[in-house]
Amino acid sequence: MASSYPPPFDDPGEVREGFLCPLCLKDLQSFYQLQSHYEEEHSSEDRDVKGQLKSLVQKAKKAKKKLLKRESDDRADAGSQERYESFSYGGVDPYMWEPQELGAMRSHLSDFKKHRAARIDHYVVEVNKLIIRLEKLTSFDRANTESAKIRAIEKSVVPWVSDQDVPFCPDCGNKFSIRNRRHHCRLCGSIMCKKCMELVTLPLASKLTSASKEALASHTSPNSSPNSIQGSRRGSISSVSSVSSVLDEKDDDRIRCCRHCKGTLLKREQQIDEREFTPEIVKLYEKLRLCMEKIDQKAPEYIRTAESLNAGETTYSLEHANDLRIEIQKVYELIDALSKKILTLGLNEDPQPHPKTLQLQRMIRYSATLFVQEKLLGLMSLPTKDRYEELKEKRKQELERKLQMAALETQRKQEEKQKDMVSRSSAALNGEVPHLKKATVKNSEGWLPTSSVSRQREIADPLLQQIDNITSFIKQAKAANRIDEVRMLQENLRQLQDEYDQQQTEKAIELSKRQAEEEEMQREELQVLCEKEWEREQHKAMSQHLRTRSLDFREIKQHQHEVGKDNQNLIAHILDLDTTQIKSSPSSKTPSPNAAEQLASKEKTVFSIKTGEASQCDRDQNQTSLNPFEDEAATTLIDEDSTNPFAEDAAQVMSFPTKALYNDKKEYNPFENDEEDEETNGAAVSSPNPFKGDGDPFQKGRSVQNSGNPFDESSSTNPFEVDEEISGEEVIEEELLLQQIDNIKAYIFDAKHSGRMDEVEVLTENLKDLKRTLAKQKEKSNC
Amino acid sequence: MNVVFAVKQYVSKMIEDSGPGMKVLLMDKETTSIVSMVYTQSEILQKEVYLFERIDSSNRETMKHLKAICFLRPTKENVEYLIQELRRPKYSIYFVYFSNVICKSDVKSLAEADEQEVVAEVQEFYGDYIAVNPHVFSLNLLGCCQGRNWDAAQLSRTTQGLTALLLSLKKCPMIRYQLSSESAKRLAECVKQVITKEYELFDFRRTEVPPLLLILDRSDDAITPLLNQWTYQAMVHELLGINNNRIDLSRVPGISKDLREVVLSAENDEFYANNMYLNFAEIGSNIKNLMEDFQKKKPKEQQKLESIADMKAFVENYPQFKKMSGTVSKHVTVVGELSRLVSERNLLEVSEVEQELACQNDHSSALQNMRRLLQNPKVTEFDAARLVMLYALHYERHSSNSLPGLMMDLKNKGVSEKYRKLVSAVVEYGGKRVRGSDLFSPKDAVSITKQFLKGLKGVENVYTQHQPLLHETLDQLIKGKLKDNQYPYLGPSTLRDRPQDIIVFVIGGATYEEALTVYNLNRTNPGVRIVLGGTTVHNTKSFLEEVLASGFRGRSGESSHVTPRSSSRR
Repeated sequence: MASSYPPPFDDPGEVREGFLCPLCLKDLQSFYQLQSHYEEEHSSEDRDVKGQLKSLVQKAKKAKKKLLKRESDDRADAGSQERYESFSYGGVDPYMWEPQELGAMRSHLSDFKKHRAARIDHYVVEVNKLIIRLEKLTSFDRANTESAKIRAIEKSVVPWVSDQDVPFCPDCGNKFSIRNRRHHCRLCGSIMCKKCMELVTLPLASKLTSASKEALASHTSPNSSPNSIQGSRRGSISSVSSVSSVLDEKDDDRIRCCRHCKGTLLKREQQIDEREFTPEIVKLYEKLRLCMEKIDQKAPEYIRTAESLNAGETTYSLEHANDLRIEIQKVYELIDALSKKILTLGLNEDPQPHPKTLQLQRMIRYSATLFVQEKLLGLMSLPTKDRYEELKEKRKQELERKLQMAALETQRKQEEKQKDMVSRSSAALNGEVPHLKKATVKNSEGWLPTSSVSRQREIADPLLQQIDNITSFIKQAKAANRIDEVRMLQENLRQLQDEYDQQQTEKAIELSKRQAEEEEMQREELQVLCEKEWEREQHKAMSQHLRTRSLDFREIKQHQHEVGKDNQNLIAHILDLDTTQIKSSPSSKTPSPNAAEQLASKEKTVFSIKTGEASQCDRDQNQTSLNPFEDEAATTLIDEDSTNPFAEDAAQVMSFPTKALYNDKKEYNPFENDEEDEETNGAAVSSPNPFKGDGDPFQKGRSVQNSGNPFDESSSTNPFEVDEEISGEEVIEEELLLQQIDNIKAYIFDAKHSGRMDEVEVLTENLKDLKRTLAKQKEKSNC
Repeated sequence: MNVVFAVKQYVSKMIEDSGPGMKVLLMDKETTSIVSMVYTQSEILQKEVYLFERIDSSNRETMKHLKAICFLRPTKENVEYLIQELRRPKYSIYFVYFSNVICKSDVKSLAEADEQEVVAEVQEFYGDYIAVNPHVFSLNLLGCCQGRNWDAAQLSRTTQGLTALLLSLKKCPMIRYQLSSESAKRLAECVKQVITKEYELFDFRRTEVPPLLLILDRSDDAITPLLNQWTYQAMVHELLGINNNRIDLSRVPGISKDLREVVLSAENDEFYANNMYLNFAEIGSNIKNLMEDFQKKKPKEQQKLESIADMKAFVENYPQFKKMSGTVSKHVTVVGELSRLVSERNLLEVSEVEQELACQNDHSSALQNMRRLLQNPKVTEFDAARLVMLYALHYERHSSNSLPGLMMDLKNKGVSEKYRKLVSAVVEYGGKRVRGSDLFSPKDAVSITKQFLKGLKGVENVYTQHQPLLHETLDQLIKGKLKDNQYPYLGPSTLRDRPQDIIVFVIGGATYEEALTVYNLNRTNPGVRIVLGGTTVHNTKSFLEEVLASGFRGRSGESSHVTPRSSSRR
């Protein structure tokens, strides 16, 4: 629940920002108010602005609705329908009431300070007066001065109250007599009886006075103990003599004073003590907080690095990441150690610390435990060196593949232009409007019109050129062995490619939308053009496909999955070989584009009936037909295209026996095939989260496939899983093992802390197992 | 209008303003419950608050390395405690927050006590009520009235609570009150007085439609708190009792040590948040799903984790599992105990008759059913007594009222005199003479037809057919149809539009059934936000205590009836 609240104090400000009146800049709280304010105040003014405002308000309303809807979806995951119903009713669940400002408050601080200042002045003056007098009383060598002289000095410091004025002790009320003698406070001059008299020892006095001096001259070291100060000031007095003087009951090193003055002085002393004393726990706690801050800084950096490395990117170095990981782990250990130390502070001392102190220590330990638990688990493991090399290799391959794509692109563009010409001429021959011709062709086959595609390619051209340039730079830099430059360039290239990929996706989406529209039109045209019998046949075929549609999807996708996996395995095996070899092994890959094509064509049949769904399905198709190696396969296919199995396929499926159409189709097919592949690839590559940095082709491929396939259940994109499935190599497992051991240790620690002994047992058991496995692994790797 | 959030914001602000470093939260008894309703311990630990202390506790140690955040009600005692604290400060620096308006002289005496200049902040943060749900608040006051009139101390506390609520939500409302209740009028006047006096504080931005405060009296609807409940939150409160989100399970047979007391808070317990307004049957199936989920996630304890994949799955699921295991064991225990009580006390049957008594007007059938139930040995004296109370309230002036006979039956059943006295006490508290609105028979044509149709269709769920009177009142209020002569405005101005932001306050305590009603009204009415408050949130037991505490002792049954005293001895 807590998370459904926005961070508490950010919102009011934002809300206020949002609802300023555009004309008078008055701050209004909500858009309702803004609207009403606007209608009241500015209704006679410019109408245009008002319209704008209204649309703005409506937008805001829509946004709010969306927001609420989303929130409700989040909350409703437990499956309670009520959350949805609440919206159909139109009211709002109190849990989802919009965030509100902080409630009213009122400060009394200035009042408080005013009153306090008056009081403090009085108090401070009093204390200072006492300290100054004390200073005067102790500034001479009392031990070696005659008592009469001392008395004279004491009397000079503060005027003594005359004996006659005070017949009774003001504190206890006893009558003064010869036996109950009067005593004077040396600090304020008042009179009290012996019982009520207090004494200030010289060490205390010097501590107080020196502390005030220190406060004035701040450069004095605060740690110098009162004793040392005393020593320097009153070096002539030995401790022995001071003890003896106490026994003598002389006032040599004590100063008589009244209770009130003594109380004031003691308070002062306490303050001085506290100022100088930092308890152990504070030092440890400060260190602990520093560590936590460090983690908060470093952990995101590490996660970023690890993600990038696991994707095979070269932006960060593996050594650096390992160092970072070790550093972070050390900080965690430090947090653990520090909090443990805080927990056990003073436990061995006698007397035991106050229960509240212990409670404080326990609580700090508990919160540190929570912290470690929460953060430590987010750390992912790093690839080992060998693994990292593999990943890098893969990444490189992918980059090169992209390069080739780019090269191919330019080539294809030219060919397409030619094709376009050919198609136009053929259309002219038929005596029909070119557009119509193309449309029918397209419908029968499900491919995009060439003209529009080629236009888009031209737009994308500068980007591709740039990519070309950079790759050549990289090659040069590599040849010259300038590694940082390579790295920089590669980063550059990556950005460019991301950009390009994104463009491609957008285009693909746009295209599919346009296609859907056109298809609607074309269907009508088709009906006019085609014979009725033929039409009937078509309908039959279509309905069949409709019925089996979901099944088809599944089969094909599964098939594709397998193919994808095959490819992955293949790659893993021949990684060490030259990359070009991969491309020249078409036999293993041909099924994959084939499948994609099949799927595509089938989907097209659906489109022609349900054009409304078209765009969505099209996107679907883009995603599902992804296979990292598809385009390579396609490129090889271009050469051996004469048989054109896909066109056959499509024709069968569609049951369009018209010859003219068929011919056209044949003409177009080879190029549009890889056009399509191009599209799908573009869409697929850019679909993963751009922040993650694209990289690991396997992972990405898998994730996209999964997301595109609603029937597939295992949609995990966890790098671990992929690692395991693909390589199953021991080195990596070792890394994993270490990670798991770390984690389990954290759990044990937590379980112990909260006293769940049964869990501790289970966990310890697991830990043992893990360690055993680890040992075995090490043996193996050593062999 | 979210009261939980309002208080939470205040507390967060206090903690944030004190800066980094170890902190102690210094509270009094009431603010402790106020804070504990909105913050969990682990949540507040993350903000470096490690200790929670009561200002009146003498067992506090001097810890100069801690910062103190004082959140206190501005009572005389608290001010005195704080003065003592400041004279000899135990912590390095003090941030002082009062939960309500504090008078200038108190500020002055505090300032004069702060000779060591340890106070860094003195503010008023108006979190002076217990936030139960986002739309429900309570003041945890029991027995707020003496007879029909306010207890002076309780009135001032209620006024403070209500004005603090208005301030924390930044609402300066128009006030309506229930005319038939003297205490409602009195409270309305007190609130108005504070608003007038502290006009600077209540100077909020004007909204198009001003908010509305409606003050009601429990005695107008004594039926609702007497019924058995079947939605989760209400049921738990009725059968186990919720006290500041805590449930005491120590009386549950065979309860394990760590489940003696459990916390049910919608803020941190997703299952509870999703199910608190569902009925018992639905919760049963949801609990089952929860268990199944849990079983899936449960690591196989016996079977050792052999492969890395097993291990990984275990590690990944462990935190979730741990969190879930807490939730599961808690809710399974609570629901298990509820169903045990239901069958032990025969509550399904009891509730059916209760609902019949509350919602239908068939005297003879009701009487017959009651007689049958009163013979049933499984029905507890408590349930028997409340059946008779319901009967007494509904058929108080019925021509063939057979209350004396039922009282006889109670006595024969061995129901203690305390409960038998309570029957007449409840009638005295909420009988026809007192009620301003008609609880039982529908007033206008529309509701008559509605009831007629309802009768034709049959009720969907016999156990939840009752709708509290509050539903009708609020429904009319939202539609702008609430009669001014029954619920007049305080002051000359009236609301022309339909109200949007509504705060309802029930003197004598609200119930969770009403909380549910308000929840549903919020969900079904666009643009309307309703917050429900009460001097407390009642279940039947606490309601009967309230009746007793208000001084309605009831007549001892014997004197008014023919039955000789000796017969009860047998």
